[in-house]
Amino acid sequence: MPSQDALIAMLPEHFLLVGIIALILLEVLGLGTRAALWVAVVTVSAAAGAALFLAQLGFAPPAPFPGLFSVTPAVFMAKGALLALAVPVLLMSRSEFADGEFSILLLSSLYGLCLLPSSESFLVMFVGLELLSVPVYALVLLAFRKPQSAEASFKYLVLSGAASATFLMGVSLLYGASGSMSVETFARALSSGDAMSRAATVLIMVALFLKAAIVPFHAWAPDAYEGASVPVAAYMATLIKAAVLLAAVRVFGVVNASGPVADLLLVLPLLSIVWGNLAAIRQNSFRRMIAYSSIAHAGYLFYAFLGDGASRQSAVVFYVVAYSVVNLLAFALLPENAQDDARDNLQNLKGLYRRDPLAAGLIGISMLSLAGLPPFPGFVAKFLVFRNVVAAGHTTYAVLGLIGSYIGIYFYLRVLLLMFMSPDNAVPSERRASGMARMAGALCLVATVLLTIVPGWVIARF
Amino acid sequence: MDEALVLNLILWLPIIGVVLLLAARRNDQLARSLTVGVLTLQFVLASWLYTRFDAGAAGLQFASNVPWIPQWGVSYLIGMDGFNILLVMLTAFLGPLVVLGAYRSIDRDVPLFHAMVLLLQFAMMGAFLAQDLFLFYLFWEAMLIPMFLIIGIWGGTRRIYATVKFFLYTAFGSILMLAALIYLVQALALTSSVTSFAFADLYRARLPLSVQTVLLGAFALSFAIKVPMVPLHTWLPDAHVEAPTAGSVILAGVLLKMGTYGFMKLGFPLFPDAARAFTPALMTLAVISIVYGACLALVQTDIKKIIAYSSISHLGYVMLGLLSLELVGIQGAIMQMVSHGLVAAGLFLLVGMIYERCHTRELSDYGGLARLMPVFSVFFMIFTLASVGLPTTSGFTGEFLALLGAFSAAWPLHVAGQSYPLILASVAVLGVILGALYMLRFALTFLFGATTAPHQPLSDLSPRERGILGALVISIFALGLFPDSVMHKSELAAREYQSLVKTSRLPVPVP
Repeated sequence: MPSQDALIAMLPEHFLLVGIIALILLEVLGLGTRAALWVAVVTVSAAAGAALFLAQLGFAPPAPFPGLFSVTPAVFMAKGALLALAVPVLLMSRSEFADGEFSILLLSSLYGLCLLPSSESFLVMFVGLELLSVPVYALVLLAFRKPQSAEASFKYLVLSGAASATFLMGVSLLYGASGSMSVETFARALSSGDAMSRAATVLIMVALFLKAAIVPFHAWAPDAYEGASVPVAAYMATLIKAAVLLAAVRVFGVVNASGPVADLLLVLPLLSIVWGNLAAIRQNSFRRMIAYSSIAHAGYLFYAFLGDGASRQSAVVFYVVAYSVVNLLAFALLPENAQDDARDNLQNLKGLYRRDPLAAGLIGISMLSLAGLPPFPGFVAKFLVFRNVVAAGHTTYAVLGLIGSYIGIYFYLRVLLLMFMSPDNAVPSERRASGMARMAGALCLVATVLLTIVPGWVIARF
Repeated sequence: MDEALVLNLILWLPIIGVVLLLAARRNDQLARSLTVGVLTLQFVLASWLYTRFDAGAAGLQFASNVPWIPQWGVSYLIGMDGFNILLVMLTAFLGPLVVLGAYRSIDRDVPLFHAMVLLLQFAMMGAFLAQDLFLFYLFWEAMLIPMFLIIGIWGGTRRIYATVKFFLYTAFGSILMLAALIYLVQALALTSSVTSFAFADLYRARLPLSVQTVLLGAFALSFAIKVPMVPLHTWLPDAHVEAPTAGSVILAGVLLKMGTYGFMKLGFPLFPDAARAFTPALMTLAVISIVYGACLALVQTDIKKIIAYSSISHLGYVMLGLLSLELVGIQGAIMQMVSHGLVAAGLFLLVGMIYERCHTRELSDYGGLARLMPVFSVFFMIFTLASVGLPTTSGFTGEFLALLGAFSAAWPLHVAGQSYPLILASVAVLGVILGALYMLRFALTFLFGATTAPHQPLSDLSPRERGILGALVISIFALGLFPDSVMHKSELAAREYQSLVKTSRLPVPVP
């Protein structure tokens, strides 16, 4: 029965919607804010569980919403994994946000995230992208601790808005050329040679590059991350990036990129890798460093779009999951400080091993994994991407990209140097990460271990 | 008992040890004893497997093969063969000695230190046992992290500089090796439609000479940094000098062998045609390493640096033996790897023991130790002579056979009108003389002459220290006097290596 299919196909989204409504009601009725967090956690877990369960069942109705929204087990799997990653974000928000707004905004953003990998039409995708970003403008501002937050929020708003405008322009050109709003028109436009199609594909790609912070469209990211509070920065660095990449996977479909567009996919990601890793060396703020690191990682991720289209989805999903898990692990274990600037200062991590060995060890694992060193999941993810690049015949770019990733090793090691090899630098107002944040860290650790031991099993599922 | 299971246990024991250490993290003494216990058990199990190893059977023994990332043809494939058996034994033998040697000198963050030693032991064992390129790379890279922390946390005054240099040097080689191995596996998949990382499958890859050359270049860069071969050696003296004794011992004893093992197991057999084409160039580098390392050792004033540069020189013989492609030379190379592991470990332990007492590494601060510490001096003299390559010690067997191999390969070429290899081999002999010169200069200043040493009176070696050194001395003489039973274990592997590198694997022309 089609209506029943339609109901089940959007089950994760329905859970989120119910959660959002419940949270708004809680807020309106002025009921305890403690409950809000748990309602949000349960909602997101339920949505993630539903998605994973449907993926396991292999639920794939032919067309629940023809031409607008589609699902496959792989898409459910991706949604489930990303929604599950939102749970640690929620847990670590407890120490920063006393109110329920955080949960409402985050869940709304997650709703947008869920629409992206399923969108069949550019309209749905646009709604998804906006729904993903708009709550985040507010989230960045919500931690109004310092003037920079307003600046960061505004910067993000303007540049994200510019990205949306570019996206719409590209979509309208595509519509003009093909008379259809279907995402498949992009794949067709890629291979066609006329100027209008080419302009449309370039505009849409630029919009995605802007959202994912690829050089030269990256300058907003460090400021935005620095101005945001820790959980929001964590959310932006991981899930938002993941969602944009899933949208890109949806847009590119399974075509093999070739011609001038492929050159864009080679050169700009390479620049991102090199520049992101170089610029990160100079940072003294943890969030700015992660921002530059995320610029470099966006570069690796777009490398995955070269070559074989069929394995693209699994490569991208595995990469974003491996990358997000370890990133969240580091954010969760970051020592707390009433002063946001002090919490952010890398120098304050000095001698962390003496004060909190567990946190230092786990942040260390996270950094090594981000650097792509074995045996951590970041390595398998990097391997997956570069294998695609080599298989596509771009060996030179693979080597250059790997050398770019080598540059990055230094600044990740620097964090280890500070934590393990520097004299203890006790910061007066510092506290250990809260119990909730540690719980978030524990969840990420379990995922990290799983990704380390059975990467093959995980990749087969994406 | 099931041998394959025991081999897995040998590999994973250190990880079990790390988990146990978590429970003992508040008790330094318990952490030490636990680690010694775990590593001793590892050695006992390895010795048992050594006796069960059938030297007459070619190929892998006690192998386990579990698909791990089946999509890419990656499997958890480990096993023992003639290539790795002696190095596995060396690693297992040095493990408990290293920890015992660090019993007193490590007094900060003791449980973390032992956890790092165990992780390092795990990674080194894994790199030797792995028979799958992906798995090998994983272990190869995983060795860096514990060593990075060992040098960086427990090292000397310039430890941060030294450890970052060590990490960045070795990681650079690995990055290019990663690119090369991805390319190699893709090429194999394209030409023979086999998607596999197993060494045995990769040995069948047929590649044109140009591709082989580039890939060998990437692999060789990584291995040559690890060996280290001149001119890629500059990280080694810094790392050795700043590392704590235990770090130096592991570095010199096992980690450096990783490079030569890599050449023997992967670099040359995977790309035989390129290897043969570049033999003169690589041989030149090996001889330069021998002579240059010896010359540098001759002028050092820091006692740790003397041994560090002598390692560069001694590992040059290993390369020479491997490149000779003569059976004696290859067997000599394997022997030299083991021998250098034992001798350098002993020398670094001795230097560490004297440093604990006098807190200086300046050679000129010492003199006449023979009178102050007689037992120490006897041990020191034995290791010095073994390092020089005195007959009856293991150092002689290795160096002599490696040189013999080089000469017997060079002579026919000389007769055919190509004298360059012969000249190289003759220059390499110079290294033996230089070796005697710098070690005896070291021993003379150190043990004899005017009696000076800071922080007198010095206590002679404790029973613990005598025990550690005694075990090493016994093994050095055993290998020097009765090398044949040991060499027999690796003979088939040496033949296999020889035939792999000598057989051309250029693509078959399509008719």
